[in-house]
Amino acid sequence: MKGSINSKLFLATCLALFSFLPTKVLAQVDSTYVEEEEDYSIYDDLEFVDGDAKRFASAKIKGLSPAKLISLGYDYQMGHDITAGAYKSFVEESAQITAVHGVRAQANIPVISKNSLIIQLGARFWDVNYEFEDEASLYHPLLTTLANNNLRTVGLNSTIFKPLNENSFLLFQVSADMNGDYSIPEFQGLNYNRYSAAALWGKRPSDYKQWAIGVSRTYRAGELNYIPVILYNWTSVSNTWGTEILFPARAHLRYTLNPRNMLFVGFELEGNSYRVGNQNNAFVDPFDGTKDELEIRRGELRFRFKYERQLIGFFWLSAQAGCRVNYSYNVDDVPNGTDFYRGFFGDQPLAMQNTLSNPFYFNVSINLVSP
Amino acid sequence: MNTLKAVLFLFVFSFSSILSFSQEGGDKLIGVWEPSNGKAKVKIEKIGSKYYGKIVWLKEPIDPETGKPKVDRNNPDESMRSTPIKGYRMLKDFEYTGKKEWSEGTIYDPENGSTYSSTIKMKDENTLDIRGFIGVSALGRTDVWKRLQMPKRK
Repeated sequence: MKGSINSKLFLATCLALFSFLPTKVLAQVDSTYVEEEEDYSIYDDLEFVDGDAKRFASAKIKGLSPAKLISLGYDYQMGHDITAGAYKSFVEESAQITAVHGVRAQANIPVISKNSLIIQLGARFWDVNYEFEDEASLYHPLLTTLANNNLRTVGLNSTIFKPLNENSFLLFQVSADMNGDYSIPEFQGLNYNRYSAAALWGKRPSDYKQWAIGVSRTYRAGELNYIPVILYNWTSVSNTWGTEILFPARAHLRYTLNPRNMLFVGFELEGNSYRVGNQNNAFVDPFDGTKDELEIRRGELRFRFKYERQLIGFFWLSAQAGCRVNYSYNVDDVPNGTDFYRGFFGDQPLAMQNTLSNPFYFNVSINLVSP
Repeated sequence: MNTLKAVLFLFVFSFSSILSFSQEGGDKLIGVWEPSNGKAKVKIEKIGSKYYGKIVWLKEPIDPETGKPKVDRNNPDESMRSTPIKGYRMLKDFEYTGKKEWSEGTIYDPENGSTYSSTIKMKDENTLDIRGFIGVSALGRTDVWKRLQMPKRK
């Protein structure tokens, strides 16, 4: 009898101890795919517990290249010619640029990112260093300025994506850029900042297409412009081909080898208005001592091939190569940084009319992305 | 004999205590949920002490390119690319940390084959904020999931 009680006691104790064992040990959870047979049809007719859910258009479509959260890159233009136009007592001068190169760092961080609203804040630093052949022989003030000082951009920007319903949305972008030949930390005044903005309304009719139309205030062509913009992103059902277009800022045809390898061909219109004369007296008139407040209206088209691929995890490589075609490198007099709008039909005189030949360029960057 | 009763009581008490404690806390996550895009339904269940979610319904179950049920063709692991999406465990390893939050988990996005770190917050009994992020929570996106139930009989 006593033996029987002892065996029951042992059994009960084992049962009690067993109940405390981590159940993880007993469960097979390492498989991603759940092998067990389950009748999935029971989930067909489920309904929301508390009424319908509100749906919003996604900011993305299938197959888009991943958004770059943090990017560190290097841009290099090969040798080309520059001709600085006549300016006051200086006659036109041509020179050979051996390279234009610099670091590009930028970040775009989502501060609010949910299905009903996305707000991103971003910052960037671009450095453009001009290397001349025979620098000592340069005399035109624009050329000596470029030879001695880098052009820099420090900018802040924000992008807001607001879905209105399941298939329409609003998109806003604003940016403030300090562009010039200033040194760091001796920045130029905030009154020389250049502000850009865009507002678009669009539709997302399917997971494979989104489009939008809007207007923008932009310096991409160098000087201030107000122009319409068109967004058109499309991906084929096979996810092999696609477009990523925000015209006229950029337009690319995309070929997807696989979701971690993508090839692009297209162009980007890139530019801004750069204040020059921050660091020396190159633009002080030798006769009357007055100093012009000049800005280079730099706008360039970059026709290119681009290759983007995953390196590891969320780190991606982006490499691009192509031809940089000059659109504008003219100079305006902008006293006290108070900009003006010339548009396509304005007749305000240029302070300098400059020309650049069109070199090959490449750009390489490492990016932390959000696929 | 009294000792046996005491041990059995201890067993039953401890089991029921654990059960009721977990049901009041983390087990509120258990159920079927729909992400905001309405393209899928995800059944969250508890295995061991952790929570997992598998895809049990797809709005578009057939791949338009192949005409066959969708498989995980974007998975970085080549051996997984023939795995059906339906039945795929896209939420993994969530632990209840109290205060209606589950953390230490991952969420998988079959549309791009990426796995993100993830936390879940229960806004109310029928609404979840599921955040997927890269490294730090600031680099992420939050999606709202709603609880589903069997249709009420009319």
